[in-house]
Amino acid sequence: MKHEQHGPDRLISLSSPVSRRSVIKTGAAAAGTALTMPYFFSRTAAASSLKFWQFYAPGGSVKTQTQWWQDMVKAWNDQNATKVDLVYVPNSDYVNGSKLQTAFASGNGPDIFIISPGDFLRYYNGGVLVELTPYMDKAAIDDFYPDVIATRAVDGKIYGLPMEVEPMAMYYSLDAWQKAGLSDKDIPTTWEALLDVAQKLKKGNQFGVLFETGPGYYQNFTWYPFLWMTGNDIVNKDGKTSGMNTDGAAATLKLWQDTIKNGTAPRKSLGTGGSDVVGNLAAGYCAMQNLGIWGISALRENAPKFKYGVFKLPLPPSGKYVTIAGGWAFVANAKGQDPETAAKFCVWALGSMQQDSIQRVVDWCTKAKSDMPPRKSVLENANAAEVYNTGEMKVFKDEIFPGARGEPRVPPEVYKPVSDAIQATQLSGADPKQAGATAAQQIEKFLSTYTGASII
Amino acid sequence: MTRNVDESTIVAGRLVREGQPAKPRLSRKHREWIAAALFLLPDALGLFVFLGIPMVLSLSMGFFDVSGFGQYTWVGLRNYREMFNDQLFLQSLKASAIYVVVLVPAIYCVGLGLALLVKQRIPFVGIFRGMFFLPYVISLVVIGLVWQFMLVDQLGVVNQLLANVGITGKSWLGDPKFALGTVLFVSVWFLMGYYMIIFLAGLQEIPREFYEAARLDGANSFQTFWGITIPLLKPTSFFVLLISTVTAVAGSQGFDLVYIMTKGGPANSTSLVVFYVYQQAFQYSHYGYAAAMASFLVVTLLILTTLLFIGTKGGRFDFD
Repeated sequence: MKHEQHGPDRLISLSSPVSRRSVIKTGAAAAGTALTMPYFFSRTAAASSLKFWQFYAPGGSVKTQTQWWQDMVKAWNDQNATKVDLVYVPNSDYVNGSKLQTAFASGNGPDIFIISPGDFLRYYNGGVLVELTPYMDKAAIDDFYPDVIATRAVDGKIYGLPMEVEPMAMYYSLDAWQKAGLSDKDIPTTWEALLDVAQKLKKGNQFGVLFETGPGYYQNFTWYPFLWMTGNDIVNKDGKTSGMNTDGAAATLKLWQDTIKNGTAPRKSLGTGGSDVVGNLAAGYCAMQNLGIWGISALRENAPKFKYGVFKLPLPPSGKYVTIAGGWAFVANAKGQDPETAAKFCVWALGSMQQDSIQRVVDWCTKAKSDMPPRKSVLENANAAEVYNTGEMKVFKDEIFPGARGEPRVPPEVYKPVSDAIQATQLSGADPKQAGATAAQQIEKFLSTYTGASII
Repeated sequence: MTRNVDESTIVAGRLVREGQPAKPRLSRKHREWIAAALFLLPDALGLFVFLGIPMVLSLSMGFFDVSGFGQYTWVGLRNYREMFNDQLFLQSLKASAIYVVVLVPAIYCVGLGLALLVKQRIPFVGIFRGMFFLPYVISLVVIGLVWQFMLVDQLGVVNQLLANVGITGKSWLGDPKFALGTVLFVSVWFLMGYYMIIFLAGLQEIPREFYEAARLDGANSFQTFWGITIPLLKPTSFFVLLISTVTAVAGSQGFDLVYIMTKGGPANSTSLVVFYVYQQAFQYSHYGYAAAMASFLVVTLLILTTLLFIGTKGGRFDFD
């Protein structure tokens, strides 16, 4: 019997009355322990693994992408004492939300995370990015396309490793094209032709063309290459002036404005926005859509029967072809619990000359997604070559990607005036020249006092 | 009550030795004070920790330049000065003012109208009450997404219906002329059920004898409404005006619907102050500036509610 083991003294004490005070004391002690235990447990658990925040796994919706992330982490964890844990943050929270920012503001940023070029300066200037160059071989550094790595580097030092390159192009519905009596010869190569074709493609509830209409970093991202093709830039090479007050900027703003004014483009997109090809182009909402290379895998997964084509962005009068190449990159937190191991993980995963590192990028860009690779060795890979030499991926490789320029890393003070100019002209009918001049004035005012890393 | 235990006596639950004076027991008033304090303590602690401390921190942060990475730089009143030179902030103030000026009376009229409607003795009135209240229990994110879908250009069900009456080509969320009005409409639709219930409770508090007496005196419905219903609804009206004003300025629907449906666009036309504060803090990492704007918003709200208290004499009504 259990009681007998305690002896007579214990039995006596149990039979004595229990005071309210002792109950309260015991309860308070228990509550205190209960409240503090998770803290100790979480700190203990946190110290043994590095947290990797991203929006793909383990809760992502695309199985091949989730699997890629889990395979990568498993491979690392099998070989290393310091483990990496994937922490899934829903895309809406990660891209437009506040989760990452509040985590850093409270000093609890993740050890490893992914960022787009648009966010690079925020974290670099905040002093939380680990320099990755010391952990990389020269051969691996040279293996990255210079334009792609440049937006993640400061003074030749690399702070982020891109996992993909996502150039922008125009997609079109073959069905809509044929119904409008158009052929391959009608694929627009100039802005004027684009407007003309969009007009011909507008039928009933189907718009001719779709450009992003929602304000935000993504809209700016899609608009920049049109400006670049006029030979201008949001921040000029001197780093002090802006090209938003030029005729080229006004013409670019006017192009998007004209599509709304003449009714060939919608003011609001369907689905999750202008980056959603299935919800817009494949749904018959528009006949042409300004979109990145990710549209190929999105259509392959969600609308496999939809027939479409892609063409490179049309040119302004006497313009030179350029497109923008976005994409996310791995970065390590300099204020995390083990920045060195976090940096080594990033390099091991995406930036080493080891075959598994190269193959990982091949798999991500060709199997999990449909992206252009950030590394030359990936294009030379035999398996990847097969993918890049067929269908629309070939068009991207041969025609669209060669004119790609990395997404600029602009701070909010530059992004916002550009965004306001686009929104005011596109949707509110503002004068393009005036809107551009206002944006240039605001940007130049900011640049005159800016002291962070180079924007261009 | 006392009883003898050997040489000791129990006085007010305490064991007192013979010959020693008993300590005076707490008066009833004091005991009630202590009980009240103990009952209030959990809420007070919660308010202090989750509202009081953040409010003080937020007010303080307005005087700093906060990097978002642990660096604080004292800037004095700079954030406040910048605020009034910031065209986007002024534009968001204007949008918020329009939102408040339209939403508060709209909520009042729609809420009261629905309450009068569902107070009638008509078949299945319970179902109607439930239907009108239903939007209020649905997540604002879901509401935003559903309305966005229904309002989409050309294909949306709203535009399809309006096409039958000759209204075509409208972009309710993509045109700056309509976007704020559309957000207002959805806000009213979301909130109407809640205020209907408040008004319904107020209406049911009005003694039926008043209406019977008015009917005997020959008053028509209109006269009854203005002579009995409206005056006797003053306390309810005060509550509704107060809460709907606060809701209009800083309510979750003002942020959530904008965030989901328009992201502050098109061309900043739906960028209400709460949304602009969010943008400055979490999209642009201007935490100090955002805190200054939030502080300004709190002071504005305090002034508005004080004016409301003064204007309505605290919602009191008398029979004189």
